[in-house]
Amino acid sequence: MNQAPARPAAGASGKSVSGRPLWRRIWQHRLLYLFLLPCMAWLLVFCYYPMYGATLAFKDYSYSLGILGSPWAGWKHFEEFVSSPEFWMVIKNTVIISGMKILFGFPAPIILALLLNEVHSGKFKRAVQTMSYLPNFVSWVVVVTLMTIVFSPYGGIVNDIRKSFGLESVFYMGRKESFYPMTVLSDIWKNAGWGSIVYLSALSGINPELYEAAVLDGAGRLKCTWHVTLPGIRETIGIMFIFAVGGILSAGFDQILLLQQPANNQISEILDTYVLKTGLNYGRFEYATAIGLFKSLFSLVVMAGANFITKKFMDVGIW
Amino acid sequence: MYMETKPQKIFQIFNYCFLGLFGFITLYPFWYVLVASLNTGRDFMRGGVYLFPREFTWENYFYAFQDSRIYTSLSISVAKTLIGVVSSLFFTVLIAYALSVKTLPGRTFFTFFWYFTTIFGGGMIPYYMLLRDLGLTKSFWLYIFPAVYNFFNFLLIRTNFSNIPSDLRESAQIDGAGDFRILFQIYLPLSLPVLATVALFIGVGQWNDWFTGAYYQSNQDLIPAATLLRKLLNEATASSTIKVGHESSAATMQSYTSQSLQMAFVMILTMPIVVVYPFLQKYYVKGVMIGAVKG
Repeated sequence: MNQAPARPAAGASGKSVSGRPLWRRIWQHRLLYLFLLPCMAWLLVFCYYPMYGATLAFKDYSYSLGILGSPWAGWKHFEEFVSSPEFWMVIKNTVIISGMKILFGFPAPIILALLLNEVHSGKFKRAVQTMSYLPNFVSWVVVVTLMTIVFSPYGGIVNDIRKSFGLESVFYMGRKESFYPMTVLSDIWKNAGWGSIVYLSALSGINPELYEAAVLDGAGRLKCTWHVTLPGIRETIGIMFIFAVGGILSAGFDQILLLQQPANNQISEILDTYVLKTGLNYGRFEYATAIGLFKSLFSLVVMAGANFITKKFMDVGIW
Repeated sequence: MYMETKPQKIFQIFNYCFLGLFGFITLYPFWYVLVASLNTGRDFMRGGVYLFPREFTWENYFYAFQDSRIYTSLSISVAKTLIGVVSSLFFTVLIAYALSVKTLPGRTFFTFFWYFTTIFGGGMIPYYMLLRDLGLTKSFWLYIFPAVYNFFNFLLIRTNFSNIPSDLRESAQIDGAGDFRILFQIYLPLSLPVLATVALFIGVGQWNDWFTGAYYQSNQDLIPAATLLRKLLNEATASSTIKVGHESSAATMQSYTSQSLQMAFVMILTMPIVVVYPFLQKYYVKGVMIGAVKG
């Protein structure tokens, strides 16, 4: 993260490169520490204090005693979660939704970037890019509202077209069977365009001489894509894959929250939404905290797994 | 470069069609709802309004702005976006400047201290309890204080500051300029594009955030427009779940419906972004590239 050459550890010798003692250098930079101060305070309050608060997962919380004073409860809440009937449902849904997003949502921006890369007209390419980035900047609430209107059984265009073919109108947003396709398609609609930027920049970094050499060797367009283009962006794909896998258990959840309906609850309840429900709606703070911790651990394991796989097969990794 | 053979021509045609279709599918829902919001609600429900309004009217917007909930929520959104951008940008610039000075003792430690929080956190519930204990769950400042700093935005600005030659700072110091003057008179004017990018990231984030208002805000007079839209959506879906199959319900007697109000509202929420978007696109793209390279 830090592109500065490593300095000798502060305080190790008490002397800096310039030969001045450490305390003098600190005093010299006192105004900069003043700039740092609010950020340190903010980090301690809003990031590190909740980490300490996560010990709640091992306690029986009582409001009057506070987090520190509440008695320890051991692994009770974890055991309760693992043995609850919701456990397998929630795990299954989380894995299925994440898996489908990886399967369909992850390749989408790569394909889009490859297709855009084949476009010779700069104007057309820029126009498509500009359009495809737009959904990234609107909120998921807006996207879901747009979907509700477009797929509405009352005058919505999709059902209108269905009716003109003599088909029955379908309540897509409230029907259980439509939940997975709606989730995956809206995910692609909102994110594929913006996601393609990274790949386009990687594509522009491929040496054109490689293509010329390949063409001289008699390679056609498909062969060029397979032997030059894809290997050229392999590293980017690998790194994006690890991030996608690691983040997906938590990141897509406001979309799920918005698409959740009583009718599809059975298949749409994922770990994060379950934490919210048990914690904030039912007020079971310790139990929900335990599930939250379980999820953090789970995503860390999954991310490490993805890292292992990409290291083994693609020779790229973030750790 | 390639020989233009017949299959390749076919591919090109297919490719243009596909990408054109993709662009159309991306934009059309926005256009469709805009058209719908400018049509009378009752007429829209008959279907067939695709490209232009059939019964043109402003009344949906008129009713939207008259609805006191919508009006209040929009002012909350405007306020939190403006205050959020200014405060967050100010504090991020300060820390980015401090941590871009390569001679600062402890610089690596501070950066790591912050980076660590992006890979590990306490979870939603302890975070909520903290907000509650601080009294933020009943306050407007819920939208501002916890959102002041963001590691990604910090990286963008610091990377930019680090690219400014440090000789510039040193010679200014010799001339007697303090850090404040160096930052505001030398560094900031040299970093306008990245500041614009970050300001927009913050602004769009504030404007779009519905989650904080929905789950952490307990004072219903303080919920922002995005959160209110979610509430309206929930109410509408709940009632249409019951209504399915009865197309001529009593609700359709008025010329505007709860759905048409919602359509006007969603357009009001989208417009600022659509208007600002084309002008700033190149900054955004650059910002993401830097993030991709450095991240």
